[in-house]
Amino acid sequence: MAGTLASNHLGLTSWSLSLQREEKQLEASVDALLSQVADLKSSLGSFICKLENEYDRLTWPSVLDSFALLSGQLNTLNKVLKHEKTPLLRNQVIIPLVLSPDRDEELTRQTEGRVPVFSHEVVPDHLRTKPDPEVEEQEKQLTADAARIGTDAAQKQIQTLNKMCSNLLEKISKEERESESGGLRQNKQTFNPTDTNALVAAVAFGKGLSNWRPPGSSGPGQPGQPGAGALLRSSGIQQVQMTGTPSQQQSTLLSGVQMAQTGQPGKMPSGIKTNIKSASMHPYQRK
Amino acid sequence: MEAPPVTMMPVTGGTINMMEYLLQGSVLDHSLESLIHRLRGLCDNMEPETFLDHEMVFLLKGQQASPFVLRARRSMDKTGAPWHLRYLGQPEMGDKNRHTLVRNCVDIATSENLTDFLMEMGFRMDHEFVAKGHLFRKGIMKIVVYKIFRILIPGNTDSTEALSLSYLVELSVVAPAGQDMVSDDMRNFAEQLKPLVHLEKIDPKRLM
Repeated sequence: MAGTLASNHLGLTSWSLSLQREEKQLEASVDALLSQVADLKSSLGSFICKLENEYDRLTWPSVLDSFALLSGQLNTLNKVLKHEKTPLLRNQVIIPLVLSPDRDEELTRQTEGRVPVFSHEVVPDHLRTKPDPEVEEQEKQLTADAARIGTDAAQKQIQTLNKMCSNLLEKISKEERESESGGLRQNKQTFNPTDTNALVAAVAFGKGLSNWRPPGSSGPGQPGQPGAGALLRSSGIQQVQMTGTPSQQQSTLLSGVQMAQTGQPGKMPSGIKTNIKSASMHPYQRK
Repeated sequence: MEAPPVTMMPVTGGTINMMEYLLQGSVLDHSLESLIHRLRGLCDNMEPETFLDHEMVFLLKGQQASPFVLRARRSMDKTGAPWHLRYLGQPEMGDKNRHTLVRNCVDIATSENLTDFLMEMGFRMDHEFVAKGHLFRKGIMKIVVYKIFRILIPGNTDSTEALSLSYLVELSVVAPAGQDMVSDDMRNFAEQLKPLVHLEKIDPKRLM
């Protein structure tokens, strides 16, 4: 026992009055804990290093990876602590044997320079097993408050909180769904293939556009052909004739209507009438 | 009356054998803003350009089965701009190695009495429409995003009606024949507009 004390550079010792077997078990579990904690420490260190040095090119997935690693290591640590072979650590007592204001090189090395001196100043912080007195006070207060509330009232508050939470969750998920479907709709409906075809057909051969050429019109050069050109020409002539004799204009109008009727009995006559009305606005009339 | 002596053959050979490489797609009205925004980011840094054009398509029928088609276009918002006469050949779909539609293409600037001239030659107007939209450039690529309006009264561009709830999007390059490399650039550019707009080579014959 004295040897243990002497070799312990931390100036503290852990002892057990149990059998040697138990002591061995304790040592093994402490070793396991130490290695787990060392792993955790190195991952934390590398994560902090990454955050400090690569924050400008850090990607979210890589941060998530680091978190996943830490979370896994914490889980393993918990498992080791809860393992049935691990003795209850709270039954172990650690007491400081020597406090010294002098610098302890071995301690500095073991704590990687964080704790150079094992003095009265740092020991309460490092060996504390209870919360700060203020924190303890607050906790007491809370426990007292909780005890004062009746079970019915507590139940009610729990229900209210649950209701609020579920409402909030529902709202969030609904919003999420809507924005997702909205995004999809946006993506899907920026164009319409049917419209594409209709527009291409329209510019390619005038499909769906006002077709001024009556069906079945024969080749060019035949006089009296009821084509658009004839209509245009007649309207041009009209414009000239309007200043001239009204009777001639009338006859042209009539012949124009007749031509159209023979050509296409449906739509054309009305078109011609309006055409005559708007003849003065004709963009390419003869001047 | 004899048919005017007009060549029925597309202009090939010589210095004006230019091809238009084309990809087409559309965008719904409510997504136009996003597309314009993306195009402004992708394209050459220039002032946003808009246009308002009136296009008339003229046919000349001869002995051949298919008529000869010419397109006359004039700007409605920029006074003094020349008229634009365009011949487009039969579109070639090509195989998988070519990512765009290719067609023969002749562009000519003309004076404003173009329609009269065409009429005198025996052309007849087949259809017309108003195109209103935005123009972007990236290198030799041209991107137009425009709405097509049906003209309700022949020749009167004041009375129009939108053809659909979408804007037509066209990515085109006019280059000398055989420069199929441009189609790779165009495909890469089209990729960057996904999923907002899918620019594809669309065979108009399929839509007849």
